[in-house]
Amino acid sequence: MRGMVCFAWVLTAVGLLWAVEPMDAQAVPVVRCENCHGERDFFAGADSTLFVPNERLSTTVHSGLACADCHRGFEAGYPHSTVNRVTSCETCHEQEGVDWNASIHAPNATLRGDAPTCVECHGTHEIFGATDRRSPTYSLNVASLCGRCHADPSVIGSYFATADKEQARTAVAQYFETVHGHALTVAGLTVSATCNDCHRAHKVLPPDSAESSVNRRNIPETCGACHEGIIDVYEASAHGAAKQNGTPNGTGHLAPVCIDCHSAHGIVRADEPVWYLGVVEECGTCHEELYETYLETYHGKVTRLGSTLAATCSDCHTPHNMRSVDDPTSSVHPSRLVETCGACHQAANANFVQYRPHADPRQGDTYPVLHWTWLFMTSLLIGVMVFFGIHTILWVTRLTIDHVRAGKGVTPP
Amino acid sequence: MSPRALNAADRGRGPHLWRFTPLQRTLHAFVIVSFFGLVLTGLPLHFSNAPWAQGLVRGLGGVGAAGLIHRFCAVITFGYFFVHLGSLVVLARQRGWKRLLWGPDSMIPQPKDLRDILQMFKWFLGRGARPKFDRFSYMEKFDYLAVFWGVAIIGFSGLLLWFPELFSTFLPGWAFNVATIVHGDEALLALSFIFTIHFFNVHLRPEKFPIDLVIFTGRATSGYMEEEHPLEHERIVQTGSLENLAAPPVSRTVYLWSMTLGFASLALGVTIIALVVWAVLH
Repeated sequence: MRGMVCFAWVLTAVGLLWAVEPMDAQAVPVVRCENCHGERDFFAGADSTLFVPNERLSTTVHSGLACADCHRGFEAGYPHSTVNRVTSCETCHEQEGVDWNASIHAPNATLRGDAPTCVECHGTHEIFGATDRRSPTYSLNVASLCGRCHADPSVIGSYFATADKEQARTAVAQYFETVHGHALTVAGLTVSATCNDCHRAHKVLPPDSAESSVNRRNIPETCGACHEGIIDVYEASAHGAAKQNGTPNGTGHLAPVCIDCHSAHGIVRADEPVWYLGVVEECGTCHEELYETYLETYHGKVTRLGSTLAATCSDCHTPHNMRSVDDPTSSVHPSRLVETCGACHQAANANFVQYRPHADPRQGDTYPVLHWTWLFMTSLLIGVMVFFGIHTILWVTRLTIDHVRAGKGVTPP
Repeated sequence: MSPRALNAADRGRGPHLWRFTPLQRTLHAFVIVSFFGLVLTGLPLHFSNAPWAQGLVRGLGGVGAAGLIHRFCAVITFGYFFVHLGSLVVLARQRGWKRLLWGPDSMIPQPKDLRDILQMFKWFLGRGARPKFDRFSYMEKFDYLAVFWGVAIIGFSGLLLWFPELFSTFLPGWAFNVATIVHGDEALLALSFIFTIHFFNVHLRPEKFPIDLVIFTGRATSGYMEEEHPLEHERIVQTGSLENLAAPPVSRTVYLWSMTLGFASLALGVTIIALVVWAVLH
């Protein structure tokens, strides 16, 4: 046994002799890290993370860096301290560091220790660029990366247990069902939005934070980063103008931003029935009266039954360029109705567009003919049913009385 | 005493007498089938918010299929309407317009009908004898004229909604708003009336319970006629037409078909009323 230990010490000494290499006459002898950390056998039985051969770095974005660029304090050579001192990534990645420090991950990483720092997402030695397929931060891998924590029941349980964080509990699973998730996983589109496109990579902040990219006020800008063709139209629409204004309208509703109609983690293609039929409800959450009257019309009723052919809100009011009926550029301005209705009803003419798609027969002042028709029809219905209802009840009563009397031997009149 | 026949028109003494022509029976069968088709496909639209609406439409094959069935049944409705109008012209040529429009066997309400209504209420209240009806009671006339008016009103408003672009060449667009209200509410009145009042008056009242197949088989006993249409029966006896009107007993095939259509219609009609009540209370 003693012989074996001696032999090991000799081997180590020989190894160190090999490792120490005089650079030039004045220089401090430099110990090449890979001489030890590149030998798998050297750390056999020890912590395997200490085994870092040069190849592990040579193909990464950090291939030009030396170990000591990150691992400072080992300049004095061997034997060195066993304390792993890693310099902050921020040293080089300054802006990323500032952003991360401002993020919700920073305080949780510092105080609770279970939120991600640089290495949780980017790795340690094998750090590849975000455009490298091997990187966890590559667009096709991001959702799985974030899902490591955000789909972990224990993380969800500790961070997102309260009712106001309901959306966060299912965010990752839901993402994969959205149009963005499908584009990524099914169609393999790397340009499709993934977690960091909306939530940012480093400055991740909850939606109630004013600086958050997913705060209501910043949503159009966030979505507009990709949906450039929509953002301009939206900004110019009645909704966009109301958003600029920033104050709630007469019924206490704030102007809708992208996620109010499209939702955040339930985004589906706009030509899917689930969207097509659901958007009416969505508009109705603010436009309550128009929603009710729409559902009284053929358009509304048949849509509610599942038809995708009849007009819904966006067919007449456009999906993003909705404007007041008084605005001459509005799709529902009287001067443009023939064109708007004509999109479905090809032969629509000036007569045709006098149809009232939100008529309320209860409003006698606005719709007198409709109101009186409705009153007449309702009265007719009630009148007929009441008259014959009484007729029927009296008939049954008469026969019952006669039947009872006959049983007692009384002859009916 | 023979057991009480299931079919009210088979009860009572005497031979069977013809009451309805094969054309009338056939047209009524078409009325039933097309009306159910229209109601089942139109009702979910009228009550699109009802809990059963979407399920019913899915069961019918979806919104598109429902719309197709609705329009198909509308065509049948226009068909029987015009065949019936044609038969009225033929009848008028045979008997003269006067007899068609006025008199004891006319469908047009007579002063006697008003007196019958008053007499009926007197009887209900125990203040008089039951009125004696002629060939058609005021209830049957109401049924008939309600369908006549209903088909015309619902039919025309339905055409407006079917071909809005065509009608907008001479009608203002708000006519379609009016047509929507008229079409739906008149249809609701029609089905509410038929599946409750008509069913009661014709089938479910104790005298006739559970079913009266006279409209399907076309014939009823002399005793039935004496009870339901005493004046008509009296006239038949007086004019010696009993033998002319004598009908053979109904064949087993016609009887079974009549029973099936009759009971199926009753069951479906009552179910539809339940759906309407559910929708209104919802």
